[in-house]
Amino acid sequence: MKENKLFSANAVFVSDASDPTTIFKEVSDKLLTLDLVNDGFFNGINQREQQYPTGIDTSPIAKELPNIAVPHTEGEFVNTCLIVPVALKTPVSFKNMIAPDQSLPVKFLFMILNNNPEGQANILAQIMDFLRLSPVSKLQALFNLTETDKIYQLLSKNFSQK
Amino acid sequence: MSREVKFIAACGAGVNSSHQIKDAVEEEMRKRGYNVKVDAYMIKDVNEDLLSHYDGYLTIAKTDLSFKPKIPLIDAGAILYRIPAMAKPVYDNVEKVVKEINAK
Repeated sequence: MKENKLFSANAVFVSDASDPTTIFKEVSDKLLTLDLVNDGFFNGINQREQQYPTGIDTSPIAKELPNIAVPHTEGEFVNTCLIVPVALKTPVSFKNMIAPDQSLPVKFLFMILNNNPEGQANILAQIMDFLRLSPVSKLQALFNLTETDKIYQLLSKNFSQK
Repeated sequence: MSREVKFIAACGAGVNSSHQIKDAVEEEMRKRGYNVKVDAYMIKDVNEDLLSHYDGYLTIAKTDLSFKPKIPLIDAGAILYRIPAMAKPVYDNVEKVVKEINAK
């Protein structure tokens, strides 16, 4: 199987945290030990989410699909281009990216590490295409996985990289 | 060819949403026969002076700016879904601004 370079088996998470800041702290600490981000990353991503939220209402794609969020921050805090999946055991409230006065229950995060926005096919666009083009049943199964290796396998196999 | 019409797209980090909107709008306007350039910025860098160099501002969310922009604001967040029916009204609004600029 061809490895998808947008994912790393070490950088996949399952969290039972109940608020974005706690999730970001858990994930940031691990990403820092993997040298994928620098020590400004946690503050960067946490503040950015509060000022410019990243929740995405997936109902225009399919009504029965749980919502997602795509937290990210400036390239200066990041050492790589990677999607970091975070499955949430219970839905966590995020604000809607395109309508920040609305809150959305979110079940799965595609955290985007991007230190080179000009240099490669748009990661956010690839995430949206994955959601739009995958069967809803497959996405529902993904969003309910609670083992990081299964999440990694499913995403690496099914995420078509441009 | 008509003159280049310049838009700015801005998002929180300046790396993902704004670039997706840049790529999508430039490509669609090329298909429609217009010469459109979009520059991606972080919202915190957007000010009155910067906007004065552009013909329109593609926004992702209704963002509070500390000033009232003199150029047209186009709500472009729907483009992020990559669903043609959702993106079309945004492209139509962009085209309207481009036509007005070209008519000047």
